[in-house]
Amino acid sequence: MKESDHTTKDNLDKPPFFKSWRGMYWLVLGNLAFLIILFYIITKLYE
Amino acid sequence: MRLLDWIVLLGTLGFIVIYGVWKTRGSKDIEGYLKGDNSMKWWTIGLSIMATQASAITFLSTPGQAYEDGMRFVQFYFGLPIAMVIISVTVIPIFYRLKVYTAYEYLESRFDLKTRSLAAFLFLVQRGLAAGITIYAPAIILSTILGWNLTATNLIIGTLVIVYTVSGGTKAVSVTQKQQMAVMMGGMLVAGFMVVRYLPEDVSFGDAVAVAGKMGKMNVVDFSFDWNDRYNFWSGLTGGLFLSLSYFGTDQSQVARYLGGSSVAESRLGLLFNGLLKIPMQFMILFIGVMVFVFYQFNQPPLFFNEAAKNKVYATEYAPELEALESQHTQLFNQKQEAVKGLVSALRTDDEAAIDAAQAKVQTITDASKEIRTDVKALISKATPDAETKDTDYVFISFVMKYLPAGLVGLLLAVIFSAAMSSTASELNALASTTVVDIYKRSVNQNDNAFHYLKASKIFTAAWGLLAIIFATYASLLDNLIQAVNIIGSIFYGTILGIFLVAFYFKYIKGNAVFMAALVAEAIVLYCHFYTDIAFLWFNVIGCVAVIVFGLIFQVLLNQRKREKQAA
Repeated sequence: MKESDHTTKDNLDKPPFFKSWRGMYWLVLGNLAFLIILFYIITKLYE
Repeated sequence: MRLLDWIVLLGTLGFIVIYGVWKTRGSKDIEGYLKGDNSMKWWTIGLSIMATQASAITFLSTPGQAYEDGMRFVQFYFGLPIAMVIISVTVIPIFYRLKVYTAYEYLESRFDLKTRSLAAFLFLVQRGLAAGITIYAPAIILSTILGWNLTATNLIIGTLVIVYTVSGGTKAVSVTQKQQMAVMMGGMLVAGFMVVRYLPEDVSFGDAVAVAGKMGKMNVVDFSFDWNDRYNFWSGLTGGLFLSLSYFGTDQSQVARYLGGSSVAESRLGLLFNGLLKIPMQFMILFIGVMVFVFYQFNQPPLFFNEAAKNKVYATEYAPELEALESQHTQLFNQKQEAVKGLVSALRTDDEAAIDAAQAKVQTITDASKEIRTDVKALISKATPDAETKDTDYVFISFVMKYLPAGLVGLLLAVIFSAAMSSTASELNALASTTVVDIYKRSVNQNDNAFHYLKASKIFTAAWGLLAIIFATYASLLDNLIQAVNIIGSIFYGTILGIFLVAFYFKYIKGNAVFMAALVAEAIVLYCHFYTDIAFLWFNVIGCVAVIVFGLIFQVLLNQRKREKQAA
């Protein structure tokens, strides 16, 4: 098990569509929030 | 099964196996065999992660669960996207920096060899048993419905998986999982389209969803808090997060999927892909189950969906009682069909009073139908004491077999086989890599050449596969085996997660303290299992918390002793 020589390069890999990984993480969490709200509306609409 | 179904089923499975073997031939060392030469792109990783988690039981049980209990099971996955983000931020960079093959390898650099070996051993016991069940669970349902020989079904699933997993290793697992996910999603979409198409001509899709809502099946989110309620928003968010962190962060069958990525970015994107799509996928599968429920409001459902189990009662002295129940069931269905049509008409009028009246009428008949189903289950249990009285796993497959046209039955069976094969392949691959990397190469034979370890990896993959088939073959001899395996999993999972949480988040705790804490935690969990009535799902929490708490205590004591020694 060796330390990677490419660690720094790997960590600098950028995500698509966003400037940083933080944007990607917020996309996933925002999608979760959106789905929960959507599901809540569906639940209330068809109650 | 008609000829066209056989052609579709065998053609699909044959193509996937041959493609997997051909595409991934020629691994020269364990780097290529166990990590796929770190060449996987994010979409392959994402689909592979989803295919590993989606076992055959996902496609057999989930629609049945929605049929019985509505959509609320989707809340169980609310913690998953959060876990994907946490693992992407904390776990993936560490695993990449250390260039590990397995999750347990990291534990040696963080703690010591004995902690690594302990975690690897606990994983092998737990996952080794689970691999047999992954084959057995769909095999028992398919053999019951199709009249196939159970041992032959176990052998077919197991052998197909062994062929391409032994041949191509991790890369073969991931490559075939892309095709398998395409079959699974395509098949389920077609099934969803067909069930909606089979609704009566005067019942629109909107009517069907409205009827499902009025009959309590569109209960997607429930914010009320109840300790005894298994599926609500709060248990889904917290319990789902806990389970997802342990499953995706410490279980080698999942860790291997993203360790095969060509970079940190590809692995992260693969996990986040799962975080984005897992909930919509589960929603779709559950929604198909709800549509099957609506379909059966207009078409008479079987009195008991496992018809093979029901038919055994006809060979006993209880046959007249069963006939009487069948007759009551038919009468009630005719009344219910009219009542549901009345509900559809009322919903179109938007007249609240008419809707309430129609809904009450449907509810009364539904309650009566439920009572008959309860009586049938009691009768089956009395007539054939060994019979399984839970029939929700048979709801979807019995709909497929009875109503879908030739070709599509073969496609849906391919979905179930693909799901069984994809999760089994990941398990065998993970079991082999843990055996070779964490036990054999580390503690038994450290100084052999690359070809030797490649050969050992292939032999261990085949050996675990054979063991899984043998276990699946004899599984039917044991009562409550699935529950037994779940209990064994819960006995070990908490301790493994505890060790990893300490490794990632409690830098203060060192190797000796965490090792002793893990042994104490395991002893506490075993005590709880043998001497208390605590539900086994809590073992996960107890084991995990015990490792952290005792780890802290032992580290304080060890530091104190060290200081005393230095002072002396």
